[in-house]
Amino acid sequence: MFITVNGESHEHSGNGSITALLGELGATPEHSAVTVNGELIYSKNWPACRLSTGDKIEVLTFVGGG
Amino acid sequence: MKNLKLGNVEFKSRLILGTGKFSDTETMLRAIEASGTELVTVALRRFNREKPADDLCAPLAKLTNVKLMPNTSGAMNAKEAIRAAQIGRELSGSPFVKVEIHPNPHHLLPDPVETYFAAKELAADGFIVLPYIPADPVLAKKLEDAGCAAVMPLGATIGSGDGISTAAMIKLIIRDSTIPVIVDAGLRAPSEAACAMEMGCAAVLVNSAIAAAANPVEMAKAFALGVETGFAARAAGLMPKNTGAAIATSPLTSFLG
Repeated sequence: MFITVNGESHEHSGNGSITALLGELGATPEHSAVTVNGELIYSKNWPACRLSTGDKIEVLTFVGGG
Repeated sequence: MKNLKLGNVEFKSRLILGTGKFSDTETMLRAIEASGTELVTVALRRFNREKPADDLCAPLAKLTNVKLMPNTSGAMNAKEAIRAAQIGRELSGSPFVKVEIHPNPHHLLPDPVETYFAAKELAADGFIVLPYIPADPVLAKKLEDAGCAAVMPLGATIGSGDGISTAAMIKLIIRDSTIPVIVDAGLRAPSEAACAMEMGCAAVLVNSAIAAAANPVEMAKAFALGVETGFAARAAGLMPKNTGAAIATSPLTSFLG
């Protein structure tokens, strides 16, 4: 299914879970925060979350900043 | 030095470090260690598949004595800052947040209205809120009343190295505040950090002055010494100024009979 990840179209071929998506992206789950269609999905709720075609996902992490 | 207290958390160090602009992660980590800081700021950004090494979570997790304070940089208004703070808390597990809303990229000066609304809501939500603000005593007092753990007035614009150009206003903020006042932005030299502490600041937040120094690790040490010196001087009590007067330190009479 096609979803949008960090503003870019992405074909997800996993089971639609957030951890599957992060694995596809090469992102470390414990170092990632995820929003789906603008809503923050707390990591404790990831197992219950299933992505759908057209979802807009943001995967965020920490970088240097003052 | 007496401990710094922010919310319910105490710190031995009164130097807070930003983690931006360092040439590489290793230098940043060594500078953090050299500074003795126990609190560093980090920024939220989209995960970059091409540059996964930019992710600071893993390197910073090695520093067990250091707490994270996510900032809300990039937020254009209170709503975006609140969302960024919630994401930062989820990612860091830290209650600290540096509220930073500067919509104009030309000067990066903080938006006082949006900052106030974001800080008030985040404080009510249990965050330990440290807002980056213009050096405005009225705003600082309102933020104190809104439940902020500290206020962080700017010394000068971010990354400018112009020093404490707002000294007169910061002194007014310190005089009226019952929460810590932390100079954030503008510092270039450790002597300016000492100066801020002599004025009565509780801490200083430094990023560019260390990250962009020729030797960031040595500069981090120098800033730690500057902060310590300034704090000790404040505690010792500076002599009153006698501007325009000359008061001799040596006897002026009975010289050579």
